[in-house]
Amino acid sequence: MAAPMELYCWKGDWGLPSVDTDCLTVLAYAKFAGAPLKVHKITNPWRSPTGVLPALKSVEISSGSVSRPSNIIIHLRKQKYNADYDLSAKEGADTLAFVSLLEEKLLPALIYAQWLDSKNYVDVTRRWYAENIPFPLNFLLPNRIHTQQLERLRLVRGDSTLEPGEQLEKELYHDAQECMTLLSQRLGSQKFFFGDSPSSLDAHVFGHLAPLLKIKLPNGKLRQHLDSLDNLRQYCTNILLLYFPADGREPPSHKVAPHSDGSDFDVEPHKRRNQILSVLFALGSMLGYAILTGIVSVHHVQAQAALAEPHRTDEEDEEEE
Amino acid sequence: MSLAAEAFVSQIAAAEPWPENATLYQPLREDQILLSDCASSLAVQAYLRMCNLPVQVSCRPNAEYMSPSGKVPFVHVGNQVVSELGPIVQFTKAKGHSLSDGLDDVQRAEMKAYMELVNNMLLTAELYIQWCDDNTAAEISRPRYSSPYSWPLNHILAYQKQWEVRRKMTAIGWAGKNLEQVYEDVSQCCQALSQRLGTQPYFFNKQPTELDALVFGHLFTILTTRLTSDELSEKVKSYSNLLAFCRRIEQSYFEDSQAGSTSRGFSKGPSLI
Repeated sequence: MAAPMELYCWKGDWGLPSVDTDCLTVLAYAKFAGAPLKVHKITNPWRSPTGVLPALKSVEISSGSVSRPSNIIIHLRKQKYNADYDLSAKEGADTLAFVSLLEEKLLPALIYAQWLDSKNYVDVTRRWYAENIPFPLNFLLPNRIHTQQLERLRLVRGDSTLEPGEQLEKELYHDAQECMTLLSQRLGSQKFFFGDSPSSLDAHVFGHLAPLLKIKLPNGKLRQHLDSLDNLRQYCTNILLLYFPADGREPPSHKVAPHSDGSDFDVEPHKRRNQILSVLFALGSMLGYAILTGIVSVHHVQAQAALAEPHRTDEEDEEEE
Repeated sequence: MSLAAEAFVSQIAAAEPWPENATLYQPLREDQILLSDCASSLAVQAYLRMCNLPVQVSCRPNAEYMSPSGKVPFVHVGNQVVSELGPIVQFTKAKGHSLSDGLDDVQRAEMKAYMELVNNMLLTAELYIQWCDDNTAAEISRPRYSSPYSWPLNHILAYQKQWEVRRKMTAIGWAGKNLEQVYEDVSQCCQALSQRLGTQPYFFNKQPTELDALVFGHLFTILTTRLTSDELSEKVKSYSNLLAFCRRIEQSYFEDSQAGSTSRGFSKGPSLI
């Protein structure tokens, strides 16, 4: 390898190497396959070579870079970084089937929980993206992603009048919970899905479940179900500890806002300080404007002159008279 | 079907046995139906035959609009209407007929996963080939889809459907694929199915399940429908155990009086070349 391959992906938080499912899948696969990657953790999708994240840049790619986890994994396999090398033909077929299951049943619910559920979106997702994406994208991008995800859900379900609501949430979560239970049954008490060494299916499952496990959402029904499936929870934590130890710190408390009173206390002092500062700033600018245009200063000078030499005017008056 | 409606329907369904006059609705077989709808319809018919539940097939030009979810086929049983294979399987389960009761948890997980594989890859590939490939869309899909309607409704409906499918492909990320890649995906999917089937008669050894019905529906339709090129059916034909599987199910479940018309209708298929 002349130049190492470069991977552009979303920044991490909450103890995860990245907050985005696709990025996590690719990062996990690269670790499993032992691929040497130079990872750029960015928060601006426009700076990635293809315009979306994750993106892999390599001299061996004809167009310079590829996007989409499936294409990235195919490219890594071509470079002989193959985590599925030891799988039998049947296990390879199972991988394809379970990845389809994840995408059809679990992914819509995850997207709903993060982007379409109103409380989660406003409190957690939009706030994180708005805080972390540089100006001026932070005003545009979260909203755009929100609209895109709603559009996608509508198209996939074939119902153009779909609105995020309780009924849709129940259906999606029911499917997702069934999917998680099926995964748990398939995993059983094994360390990874196909024995003792991880494969691409493990990367996909990890990419989908880890954000659910780590990102604290106010409306956490899916998370509760995942918590009840001990082996899946253990599985995710295991992979994080083994393969991403550096990212596995707990986040500083001021970033996490799960409970309302906690968030109030955290935000209050800043709010108060900001309010006082803005009032002072407004007063200062008004005064400055007044002095510069001469309103206040004239009065001041006159008053001072009047105060300083009241006897002179008296004398003048006396003289005039 | 929404969750509350499902629970309600299940309760009502459990109360009554399967009636004799259950009907399955699909678009017109000779002129209108397209590959993907035909595959879904055949899957449901195969499933019902495997459960030994009688159903009459009725062809209507507006079947798609009659369906509660907008997708065909749908069955009219008693006073309930249920569409698509997933809900129909649950509906029959509520009535006490099920093919997958004998499976253990791991097998059931695999069955659901493989059914999603077929839906995710095969069905999406069929839709892509029908509507996103300009040749096929112009020569086969648009004329067939709009054949029951007169001008100008036929143009409007056909382009509307095409536009909707293309938007869906963009949303799920298939818009960037070309035809070769789609054929490659179909081949991978068939390879996975073939490896899972191995030398067994059905996917879960001796007894057919809804997975067998679904796979049969799609593969048989692909094999017996003529499109602008034979490449799709060639991809399936290269796996001999899948061919044997289709033939076996056809002989076991479709060899009675209906079978003649079934295979004749399919093998005629759209043949504009």
